[in-house]
Amino acid sequence: MRVGAIFLREARLAFAGGGGPAAPAAFFIASLTLAPLAIGQSPATLQAAGPGVICFAALLAVLQGAEKLFGEDVADGTLEAYGLSGIPLSVVAVAKVLGSSVATLWPLPLVGLGGGVAFGLSVEAAGMLALALAAAIPGLAFLVAIAAALSAGARRGGLVIALVAAPLAIPLMVFTASAGRAAMIGDAAAGANLLLTCAVSLFLTALSPFAISAALKARLE
Amino acid sequence: MTFPDFHPTPLTVSDLSLERGGIPLISGLSLRVEPGEALVLLGRNGVGKTTFLRALSGVLRPASGDIRYGDTPAIKAAPAVCTFLGHDNALKPDESPRQSLAFWAELSGMTEMIPKAMNAMGLKALADRPSRRLSQGQKRRSALARVLVQNRPVWLLDEPAAPLDGDGREKLAAAVTAHRARGGLVIAATHQALEWPDARVQELTR
Repeated sequence: MRVGAIFLREARLAFAGGGGPAAPAAFFIASLTLAPLAIGQSPATLQAAGPGVICFAALLAVLQGAEKLFGEDVADGTLEAYGLSGIPLSVVAVAKVLGSSVATLWPLPLVGLGGGVAFGLSVEAAGMLALALAAAIPGLAFLVAIAAALSAGARRGGLVIALVAAPLAIPLMVFTASAGRAAMIGDAAAGANLLLTCAVSLFLTALSPFAISAALKARLE
Repeated sequence: MTFPDFHPTPLTVSDLSLERGGIPLISGLSLRVEPGEALVLLGRNGVGKTTFLRALSGVLRPASGDIRYGDTPAIKAAPAVCTFLGHDNALKPDESPRQSLAFWAELSGMTEMIPKAMNAMGLKALADRPSRRLSQGQKRRSALARVLVQNRPVWLLDEPAAPLDGDGREKLAAAVTAHRARGGLVIAATHQALEWPDARVQELTR
């Protein structure tokens, strides 16, 4: 299947050149290790800050591969070849984002689980947070891909990525962290927050391909 | 084994004007390329050869005028009829020519033609070397093999022979001749003599 070929190639390239999941996972772990040094070591502080810090660090981990996602295709002429492949660019975008995300982002919920326990959350609360992270990651990957497509080939691409991704990430940050926090105090709102995370993530996943395709088409001209 | 047939498509350019970043490049250009013809575009640096090829590939909207493949405007028709080879080779540093060709051949449904394309460009000895360890000429050969496996009637080539050695240029000329014999079109922008028999030459001027 043609779209499957793009998915597989993207996953293979992520392992060949990018070290697969090592970079985002290492980035995530490093952020979680440094955070307590900055916010203070008292167990109460860490427990309160944990879900928020973990969500935020996960966003940064997803962002760190953004510039490569479409930037390389623009620079090496691959995007032009995709443009004439007869496959709609929105479909190419879905295959690319899913291929690279599946290859590189899968450890993040597990790191989130370990991080939650390390920050003093109960296992149930850390589990809920990990579940919410797993639900949020497709949405995060796609919103970061919008920013990546807008910045592809642009000078100061990192600036564009930060400016575009930050506001788009707000709902996912709020609901994912709230799911973890609510679970920590045994509040029933945890489940509701998890469902809201799923909803926002699905919404971003469904609509982003069209935004990505429009950005890439503008880049081709 | 031969490449499956495609539907030969003539190219008609009528009264075309192109701009790049608000600067007018080509104006009032009309030409027609029939199946089996090769057109070589010559002209000074910056005259708009690449811009013209990009317009032919349907990604760049003309400022005015019309580009058609058969009866269909280029913007609609290009993804079905054109292959574009730009300055960049669309190779990934960690992919070998064989992997890269396998990918593009799968997108075009031409997987069984990979050995023939590699032969045509003399890639046998390099097939499994990652692209980052290939020379410029070897990368170009790999990119030209990609053009072959895409099996489209219209080839748009931007400086196809620039980094190629004598043998590479001969192989390219042979591939172009074979493509034209099947009713394909070849439009190439170049500074070098390409030694393509009876190719038409179009000088582009401001």
